[in-house]
Amino acid sequence: MAARTIISSGSRCLRMGAGLAEELAKLSISPVPRLSRSLATEVSAPSALVRIIPPEPPKPQPKLYTRRPTVLATVYKFPTLEPLAFETYPSTFLQASLRRDILHRAIIYEGDKTRKGRAQTKTRSEIHGSGRKLRPQKGTGRARLGDRSSPMLRGGAKAHGPKARDFSTSLPRKVYDMAFRIAFSYRYRRGDLIVVDELSEHRFPDAWYVKDVLKQNGWGRENKNTMFITMTKNVGLEEALGRLEKEGRALSVEEVDCKNLLEMGRVVIEKKALEYFLEKRWSPEVKV
Amino acid sequence: MLPRLPLISSGLRLLASPICPASSAPIIAKCAFSTQPPRAANILGSLHDFKDAYKKLIRRGRGPSSGKGKTSGRGHKGQGQHGGVPAGVNGGQTKDEVVAGPYGFKNQFSVNMSPLNLNRLQQWIEAKRIDPTKPITFKELCESRCLHGIKDGVKLLGKGASTFNIPINITVSRASASAITAVEAAGGTITTRFFNRKGILQTAYPHHFPEQPRLADATSRKDLEYYRNPEHRGYLAGTLKPSDNPESLFFKKPEEAEKARNLKRRGQVKKQKATDRLW
Repeated sequence: MAARTIISSGSRCLRMGAGLAEELAKLSISPVPRLSRSLATEVSAPSALVRIIPPEPPKPQPKLYTRRPTVLATVYKFPTLEPLAFETYPSTFLQASLRRDILHRAIIYEGDKTRKGRAQTKTRSEIHGSGRKLRPQKGTGRARLGDRSSPMLRGGAKAHGPKARDFSTSLPRKVYDMAFRIAFSYRYRRGDLIVVDELSEHRFPDAWYVKDVLKQNGWGRENKNTMFITMTKNVGLEEALGRLEKEGRALSVEEVDCKNLLEMGRVVIEKKALEYFLEKRWSPEVKV
Repeated sequence: MLPRLPLISSGLRLLASPICPASSAPIIAKCAFSTQPPRAANILGSLHDFKDAYKKLIRRGRGPSSGKGKTSGRGHKGQGQHGGVPAGVNGGQTKDEVVAGPYGFKNQFSVNMSPLNLNRLQQWIEAKRIDPTKPITFKELCESRCLHGIKDGVKLLGKGASTFNIPINITVSRASASAITAVEAAGGTITTRFFNRKGILQTAYPHHFPEQPRLADATSRKDLEYYRNPEHRGYLAGTLKPSDNPESLFFKKPEEAEKARNLKRRGQVKKQKATDRLW
């Protein structure tokens, strides 16, 4: 206890000399007469019967590292790529940790959804023909046969053949949303996410123009192609890219799948389109 | 000359530094996957789920190496290979469950308490789903989905008792000794109260019961004994008289029982009664 130590040192010093008492006085610690025992009634901590209301909540644990809440993306002018402005986006949207398992699940889900599942064969009940027994069961010396639709025979049915069915699977909506955020984050982190100001209304008169733009910016075949994402369908761009041999692809926001974000060398996305995904695939409650 | 893309992308990379560490120490990324570079040129070529997400597909009758070829796990000839035998059938001999006979009984008076552990409650309070400054009742527990429905009541249990440090004011049907100790050590209060089915519904979903009649009290001997016991922090503990046995309505306290036995042994019962008589 602090008081006791001061008392003991003070008294020892007084015995030694008055000089230190002056020093103590300067420190405004007045020497108290030495006590041989503790006081009978000491003011101690409040007893267990008394509780402070409201109680204090537990202190938050300090984190080892913090991620900043927002990240910056440059908005460029199309097609000159003149940098126009910075735009802030939440880090849970563009700086999500890479989760390959979530991406895998989302891409498998998309693939299953896309399957047409139209393959179909006829079973022996569907094959056109009567149920007439082709030859007697016994006596002919040949193998026994039933009707002409048997899978063993030429012109017969396919045993256990494919039937048209629905191959779609389900994936929790929030997992699918997370996959989009991870895909955008992956692109952003590698510098393959280029945000442009305007793309939907931009006029693409012919394929030569598109080829020239791609060549100038190094966005074509030599650099693993480009995925253009527009808010509304840009028919000129889509048709031009269709005419060019594997230089890129153009999709509107409704058509975009998670796989499309990861397919090509880079993603050139309109600012409005990126904000569409921000609204659809992100929410402030998202923690990862 | 237009700015070339590689410069811009490198600029983006500089801007896009993801983590600002609180300390200057390098961060060791916790990675569930191998940190070796992938073999595929595109990430789509190196996507996979966790190992436990994949289950071996058994295709029977497809060769010896599959382990289920030829007889396909059915053995040779007989009813087993050609079809199947219903479960429990011993080829016509009396079934084992019939031979064994009935076992046990169903306790009609058993009570199914919904368990609530302290670690779960602490998690909910730390996540700000439950407010520790307000009394915690069935309503708060159900609304915040700490409990997914209540059966015959709620019992507070002590998993996570050693790390429980939040003062709370909670009312439940029952509580284990370790849970009571932990709650009170943290500076909280715990009360156990009797709830019948209507009481549970009224407390958990008060918006369905605008009139809020008085909660029913315990009537059965077992319930009365439980809620009179101060060890259980029962709501009827206050009704105990000094001479009452807190654990039983019928039996005396051990020391009093011994006294009565001694009197009887010495044949002094009538004498004691005469001295005890007031008028």
